[in-house]
Amino acid sequence: MITRRKAAGLTALVSTGLLATAACSGTTAPSQGGTSGGSASATKGGTLYYLTKRPAEHLDPQRIYIGRDLANMNRLVYRDLVSLPISTDLKEGTTPVPDLATDTGTSTEGGKVWSFTLRDGVKWQDGKDITCEDLKYGFSRGFAVDVLTGGPNYALAYLDVPQKNGLPVYNGPYKKAGQAEFDKAVTCEGKKITYRFNKPWVDFPLAIASLRFAAPYRADQDKGDQSNYAIFSDGPYKIEGTWKKGVGGTFVRNTNWDPKTDSDKVRKALPDKIVFIEGLTNEIISQRLIADSGNDKFAVTDRRIPAALFSQVTGNPAVQSRATLVDAPFIDYVLPNFNRMKDLKVRQALAMATDQNAYITAQGGDKFGKPAKSIVSPALIGYKDNPNFTAPPDGDPAAAKKLLQEAGVAMPSPLRYTYNGGTSEVDNAAAGMKAAWDKAGFTVTLDPLTDTYYDVIQNPANNKSDVVWGGWGADWPSQATVLPPLFDARINLTEKSNGQDYGNYKSDAANKLIDEAATKPDVQSAATVYNQLDDQLGKDVAYIPLVVQKFYLLRGSGVTNYLQTPASNSYPELGAIGVSSK
Amino acid sequence: MFAFVVRRVLVGFIMLFVMSLVTYLLFFAAPTDPARFTCGKNCTPELVEQNRKALGYDKPVLVQYVDFVKGVFTGREYPDDPEVAKTAPQTVVHCPAPCLGYSPLMSQNVTSLLASKLPVTASLAIMAFIFWMVLGVSGGVVAALNRGRFLDRALVGTALVFYAFPTFFIGLWLYIYVAIKWQLTPVPVYTPLTQDPAAWLAGLFLPSLTLALIFIASYVRITRAFVLETLGEDYLRTAQAKGLEKRKILTKHTMRASLTPITTVAGIDLGVLLAGAIITETVFNYDGLGKLAVQAATTFDLPTMVGIVILSAFFIITANIIVDVLYAYIDPRVKYS
Amino acid sequence: MTTTVSEQTPSGSPPSTPLLSVRDLRVRFPTEDGIVKAVDGLSFELQQGEILGIVGESGSGKSVTSQAIMGLYRGTRAEINGMITLDGVDLLTLRDEELRKRRGEDIAMIFQDPLSALHPYYTVGNQIMEAYCVHHDVPKQAAREKTIEMLERVGIPSPAKRIDQYPHEFSGGMRQRAMIAMALINNPRLIIADEPTTALDVTVQAQILELLVSLQQEFNSSIIIITHDLGVVAEMANDILVMYAGRAVERGSADALFYAPEHPYTWGLLSSMPRMDRLRLERLKPIRGNPPSLISPPSGCTFHPRCDYRDDARLGCSRIVPEFDASSPHPVRCLIDPDDRKTIFETDIRPSL
Repeated sequence: MITRRKAAGLTALVSTGLLATAACSGTTAPSQGGTSGGSASATKGGTLYYLTKRPAEHLDPQRIYIGRDLANMNRLVYRDLVSLPISTDLKEGTTPVPDLATDTGTSTEGGKVWSFTLRDGVKWQDGKDITCEDLKYGFSRGFAVDVLTGGPNYALAYLDVPQKNGLPVYNGPYKKAGQAEFDKAVTCEGKKITYRFNKPWVDFPLAIASLRFAAPYRADQDKGDQSNYAIFSDGPYKIEGTWKKGVGGTFVRNTNWDPKTDSDKVRKALPDKIVFIEGLTNEIISQRLIADSGNDKFAVTDRRIPAALFSQVTGNPAVQSRATLVDAPFIDYVLPNFNRMKDLKVRQALAMATDQNAYITAQGGDKFGKPAKSIVSPALIGYKDNPNFTAPPDGDPAAAKKLLQEAGVAMPSPLRYTYNGGTSEVDNAAAGMKAAWDKAGFTVTLDPLTDTYYDVIQNPANNKSDVVWGGWGADWPSQATVLPPLFDARINLTEKSNGQDYGNYKSDAANKLIDEAATKPDVQSAATVYNQLDDQLGKDVAYIPLVVQKFYLLRGSGVTNYLQTPASNSYPELGAIGVSSK
Repeated sequence: MFAFVVRRVLVGFIMLFVMSLVTYLLFFAAPTDPARFTCGKNCTPELVEQNRKALGYDKPVLVQYVDFVKGVFTGREYPDDPEVAKTAPQTVVHCPAPCLGYSPLMSQNVTSLLASKLPVTASLAIMAFIFWMVLGVSGGVVAALNRGRFLDRALVGTALVFYAFPTFFIGLWLYIYVAIKWQLTPVPVYTPLTQDPAAWLAGLFLPSLTLALIFIASYVRITRAFVLETLGEDYLRTAQAKGLEKRKILTKHTMRASLTPITTVAGIDLGVLLAGAIITETVFNYDGLGKLAVQAATTFDLPTMVGIVILSAFFIITANIIVDVLYAYIDPRVKYS
Repeated sequence: MTTTVSEQTPSGSPPSTPLLSVRDLRVRFPTEDGIVKAVDGLSFELQQGEILGIVGESGSGKSVTSQAIMGLYRGTRAEINGMITLDGVDLLTLRDEELRKRRGEDIAMIFQDPLSALHPYYTVGNQIMEAYCVHHDVPKQAAREKTIEMLERVGIPSPAKRIDQYPHEFSGGMRQRAMIAMALINNPRLIIADEPTTALDVTVQAQILELLVSLQQEFNSSIIIITHDLGVVAEMANDILVMYAGRAVERGSADALFYAPEHPYTWGLLSSMPRMDRLRLERLKPIRGNPPSLISPPSGCTFHPRCDYRDDARLGCSRIVPEFDASSPHPVRCLIDPDDRKTIFETDIRPSL
């Protein structure tokens, strides 16, 4: 739902406001064929272990922005008005169901106003009822962006409060400024909460379900930044003791959670205890799960099996049966720099010559991902292959060369490819692509950057790259969180930065389609317009898709009911999972 | 002697301040923008600017440093905003003196952060110390007493081999083979001593052994060298000429003379280790000062970095002072100048 | 330093058994370069109450001899052959433990550099008491008293205070006195003093030597004093043994050796001594050449390369090893005819001394 606003600054960020890094922080994602692991039927009890590497940066609901944590916390401790159900079906899995609310919300004024009614009997971990004020307070915290940093900022662009210098006048509940305006935009009437937005937000329920920014929060528990790892639960579990960043924490049952107010389709709450262990390397996690001994029998992980260990998995049927391979929410692609590659035919030649398979093979082959047919993930609502990318997965150098000749450029045509380097796999992938492009008549200079990748490519003064690498995961299963954020020049291109539009793409035709999609009354009809937008982008070669990433994950033999769902962002689905008794 | 210690302590304090200042200067001399790291996923220049203000990084470096030093003596509040103190006092962090800062990336004040990590590092350091003193020193003594024979060559050769292996390789190898594949020990996990002494000990075994191996290697060699040097001393010949039993010559005369320099070297090594064993803690996922240091450095967490620098320096300075005093007690020829 | 020969008369006719008897002692050290023959056939005797001076340059084997007598080469790679009898008991065949008991009690040694010979970490008193307690099972207090007594006896002032001081707190002379106290505290029959004054000032040297002589008289112990300095043995020794390249080359009473030496090496030693009581008319006359290699010593007479009087053709100095008759009163290991030797001494050597 993107406006015509030209404002740079937070608005820009917010309405697009998505993930610049490919590594993590995707949200809803489809799982194609998430298996149901474990032969034992749903068993209650036992302790589940979650082995992971990257420390959770935030466990404050208004600040969580990593896909793993968004999904896990929804299932364990942070209920929302609506949530995504446990389902591996793409359609069912991306349709919100009521959670704290009585239904999936009612919208009026074409999607500008949304109302939800709180269910009866939902309580916090200390037994107090969850109130509308708690919902309002939680929502308000998202505006204190200078204290509660790091979270999604959509509410700042959508909420119907006055703006100044690209930011809302309301700066959160810790300051007095703009409180009256906020109180007009978010209102409570008994158990009914109403949100007023300044433009239609048809996928607001999807946003609530995928991110945690609308989760209720108890004002008396709020200590600002110090609450970063303080978990006050309304879900089936609560934290035992404290969470230690870099170490992890243990969740035990919350006796004040009433399963009758919840749904088996969202939270089965089978294990008695869930222990998170952070800081382990991929290598160690995989070795432990392969060995499958002791407590590791009841362990799952979000970390992919390193390529070096593939043979230990595929070569051993007992281990192989505990490994699953599902589509991940992340798409990798490259972007031609429209400030330099101005000739359409040359861009088309580049697209034709791109060797997706080389990129994939260097990073793990079919366990790493599959060739992508669009920058939109196949799991998003209304997905369609982009018909403009006709090259085979290996690329077609001959056809590309022909295009270059038609373009009349001198061959070999120099090309500078800037990418986020640092590991041998990524460098090998780049080398593979260079080989294919060189065959087609380009001469490629590889430009790997390490720490300062985004600082460099977001800077418009960086006028040396012809092609840059990018990776994206949608914040919720709508194309609205992919195409406009990445390709709407009006909200991205400023003097100081190109936002997420690293290719400096600018198109009136595209912008028209973006605006049109924003007017559609529901997600499905908007999706049709986004398909047209994608087609336009493909015609312009605004991007060249590379891979739909996959997750190749192991689990212990004592884990039951193992699924990977869109709700869980293709990580282990903690809403369904259980452990066997031995 | 008292004057000597007092002087050293005062100099030590000055060094701590100098080091913290240098850390500040180095931090801001780095090309990367530290405010980026609290900014999160979608970082625009405006957000970065806002965060920079919130972190206090927009003030001149020396002003920030002075605020830091003031805070050490008087304590500080985060955020330092009188409006918030009135409207939302529960969100204000009180950092009592000595306040080493508040880390927004760890959401904790630095002193309590360091205090929570210290026991892990201290446990590792002490266990490793015991390992290397027992194995390294006795290995060196045995090697020296069997100089030239097979045992000597075997010990020195083995020591050299371990010396050549990098810590992360040994650690990872031990973890994967000893703990996971062969299951000779349980998966190493840190359990606080106060919680379960047996588990504390068991969990420390592999990582402290890893940490100790390089020290064992070097201590075998230096102990051997010290003992050999002592064996060539004239006063041993005198002791023999007096008719002393071999065992007495070894323990009273030889060991006392050769081991005293070793204990002083060991004291300093222990002091350095207390500052954190970065690689070992990372490989075994032990949440100590070393791991914290890596985290702080890669996320540009200035308050934590300064805290760690000061704490490490403190350990090293203290170890040096103690060792110097100890040496004077042990060797009567040493005088304080 | 004046070379006054000791006024002491040698002890008269030898008693029935000598205290120490060394017969054909050979000490070899295997090294990477070859076998070092440090002592190559040494024989001498020492009576109770006598002072024997062993003289020679570095590498002559004098210190090795003394350490072999003490058995300090046990457990090392040195090969020792021959016989060393103390009071009729062959020390070389004794068990380790037995030999250890004799060390410090029957034979004691005084070393050259007392600063390095004393343990820096223990007090002087501690080390002396240790020497006493090894051989006497007495309470600490008794040992302490004995030590103080001994310190006083060797001339150390305020012994009760000094006993608790460390070696580095003593002056050089005091340290050597303390070492002497340590050596004598068990009243040993034989004292071996290995270059006891080399590390000391000239003025202190005299005091130490005087001390040694007076103690020897008091306890009637025998002393072997090893030195390269002829002046030292002139003061104290009854007999003097000259060693060269691991062998004895001349032995005689102090008188005989100073007034009637017969070996060219001894001549050389005497000639090379600076004299304070004469005008310096010419340069010092060192012995020409270098000390021999102990791994491959010269054939025949080991001194022959440096000897001014050798006569290969007539005497065969480079082929024949001259004999040394240990039982004679003044044996000389030389092929030159004894009368010729005396003549040479009278005509060539004596005038320039």
